[in-house]
Amino acid sequence: MEMVGQNLKVVVAAIITLIIGIGIGYGISLATSTGGQAPSPPTSAGGTTTVTVTKTVTPSAGSETKVYKIGFTLPLSGELSSVGKMWEQVAKMAIDDLNKEAQAYGFNVKFQAVILDDATQDEKALQNVQTFAQQGIKVVVGPAASSQVKAVKSYADSNHIVIISPSSTAPTLAIPNDYIFRTVGSDALQAKVLAALVEHEGVKKVVVFYRNDEYGNAFAEFFKKYFEESGGTALLQSYTTGLSDYSSEVNALAQKVQSSGAEAVVLISFDTDGANILSHAANNPVLSKVRWFSSEGVHGASELLQPSLAKFLISVKFMGTRPQTPHNVLYEQFAKRFKKMTGSDPPVFSENLYDAVMLAGWAILRAGTYDGAAIKDALPKVAAHYYGPSGWTYLDENGDKAFQQYAIWSIKQVNGKYEFSDIGVYQGGAVTLTSQPG
Amino acid sequence: MVNMDAYQVLTAVHIALIYAVLAVPLTLSYKTTKIINFVHINFITYGAYAAVLLYTFLGIDNVFVAIAAAFVIGGAMSVIDNVTVFEPLSRRGANVVILMIASMGLWIFYKYLMYSVLDVLSRVAKANLVSVLLRFETLPRVVVNGMPITSAFLTAAITAAVLALMLYFILEKTAVGKAIRAIADNPTLAEISGIPRGRVVNVMWFMAGGMAAVGGVLWAIFAIATPEVGDTLILQVFAIAVIGGLTSLSRTALGAFIIAFAENLGMAFLNQVFGVPTSFKPFITFSTLLIVIIAFPPLGAGGGLPYRFLRKRR
Repeated sequence: MEMVGQNLKVVVAAIITLIIGIGIGYGISLATSTGGQAPSPPTSAGGTTTVTVTKTVTPSAGSETKVYKIGFTLPLSGELSSVGKMWEQVAKMAIDDLNKEAQAYGFNVKFQAVILDDATQDEKALQNVQTFAQQGIKVVVGPAASSQVKAVKSYADSNHIVIISPSSTAPTLAIPNDYIFRTVGSDALQAKVLAALVEHEGVKKVVVFYRNDEYGNAFAEFFKKYFEESGGTALLQSYTTGLSDYSSEVNALAQKVQSSGAEAVVLISFDTDGANILSHAANNPVLSKVRWFSSEGVHGASELLQPSLAKFLISVKFMGTRPQTPHNVLYEQFAKRFKKMTGSDPPVFSENLYDAVMLAGWAILRAGTYDGAAIKDALPKVAAHYYGPSGWTYLDENGDKAFQQYAIWSIKQVNGKYEFSDIGVYQGGAVTLTSQPG
Repeated sequence: MVNMDAYQVLTAVHIALIYAVLAVPLTLSYKTTKIINFVHINFITYGAYAAVLLYTFLGIDNVFVAIAAAFVIGGAMSVIDNVTVFEPLSRRGANVVILMIASMGLWIFYKYLMYSVLDVLSRVAKANLVSVLLRFETLPRVVVNGMPITSAFLTAAITAAVLALMLYFILEKTAVGKAIRAIADNPTLAEISGIPRGRVVNVMWFMAGGMAAVGGVLWAIFAIATPEVGDTLILQVFAIAVIGGLTSLSRTALGAFIIAFAENLGMAFLNQVFGVPTSFKPFITFSTLLIVIIAFPPLGAGGGLPYRFLRKRR
């Protein structure tokens, strides 16, 4: 009897815990869904119908709103979490806008975001895409990193799932006729821009310190090629990703910089790793005396705005390149809205993500059927006639953004606060700086 | 020209001090309770986040306040785990394997609790809390012979010294400490001789959890704080504790220096002389562990668990 009593207690405790858990979950979902729009009416577990629209568009009587799900695999934790968290906001904003637009055009549809975290890991990204496939989702926005895109590619191709990455830039993934689309230009060009920037700053010899992954390897190789074509010297030093700390890697880099007499370091990193590396460099007697340049990878990472690190970055005139369309009114409006919503400027690739969602939605509507192969065919046609915050989204034969422009960014101190700031552009093969870092 | 070798030694010492603060409590809790406690991972993470949240929400940038807060939080978590999970399970006759698996459950629970809480807090603070660079300048930055000694280094050195003295004093000079050592040696005998085992073990758990959490703060101000910080450190921490035979606190501290030096200086040497890529770091960690275990049989420099069984059988 004693045992039975105890077991009963355990069962009761388990049920109570479950109820509390459900309560918390429901509370959180209410709390989070009130940002900006009214709470959506509860949908049934299957989640295909139940939404009745009372709009001025007046859909034909009795017809039901069609719900399309768009999957998102975003780096909400891991090495890209710093920007990943902000991208989540962009994704929600884009889905809202898409719904409003589609309804304004008279489509009786509702797009629904299903957001999963992939921890900036290749396997998790693949797991997420598989989960989406099981739920019947045919269009996935993300994953962010090139190595993740590579990891999901064969599964997406064979299961006809359209993958739209807003931020994968590795030139090695520019492959025609696959299910991978990228709303950002390939790094083959960005590497050239960065080489031009370093050259513009009068630096002749650099060490490229880069992630040993799909993104870093390709970027470093292209950078070396372009930089040496114009007469510079680039030494390559890679580092393993996913470590808890990079102090010994940074020390090895310092040795290399000291022994080779390089004048600058070119950092090809993500957020968490990049911030860690830069914070160790700030204390390093050798590395705090040379110039630092970077790609778009570490742009938007809030860690860089930490005062002691920001001071270091300004003292070494830290500069980077990033994909961005200058003089774009749509981007300025987008950035203003984003800042109002979150309190900070949109991090790198926010506009590419926004446009990826828009393209996904319009491609589904153009295909007229929720079928991977049909959406894949529709996407480039939609993209050819779309201009958004990221500029003209025309896709080349590889499914990548064909016309990508680049901005030069750095850290600036404005009213005592540090922030990311675009200080120049790359146009007509030359770097033009409008202001100096600091 | 700055001597980079000296700078590397400095970095290695810094890491060794943090490793020692992380690993010594693991040895302490294992030798007292024989539980391989995976929640140790969470102590580290929660300690780091105590500092992060105090800074983000209250603007507290005094590192010693953060350390004190982390100690209390880690200690409290540790005692709560013992009272609500380990104690009831052992009372029902659970063996060490079941307790270890229970601690794994707690580890996962705490980890995702942390993610959920941070998700909500990130929204409240409108800031990214899943990857935070913390740099406190409570202590001054000193330059000796062109060699910068950071505030984080001084903090780690002072904290490690204070904790070592505190542990020594409590374990050697107080009644509670003697009781802890008695329980570690023979729990049954200790209980028979009138030691209130439950209470004494709770004191030990508080110290162990608190110390590990402090290690988390020291790591956060040196490297970077993420909800995975404990997870990424735990292999090294276990390796170090095993070098200490999971029994000897002083040898665990020695193990921290062995591992940190092998990882950093050994790696740097191989990298510069033979061009071995730095990705070999974990390989070096575990080769060192194997070498130490094989050189000092049966288990680590402290003569660990199997050694005790052998002695008993004789």
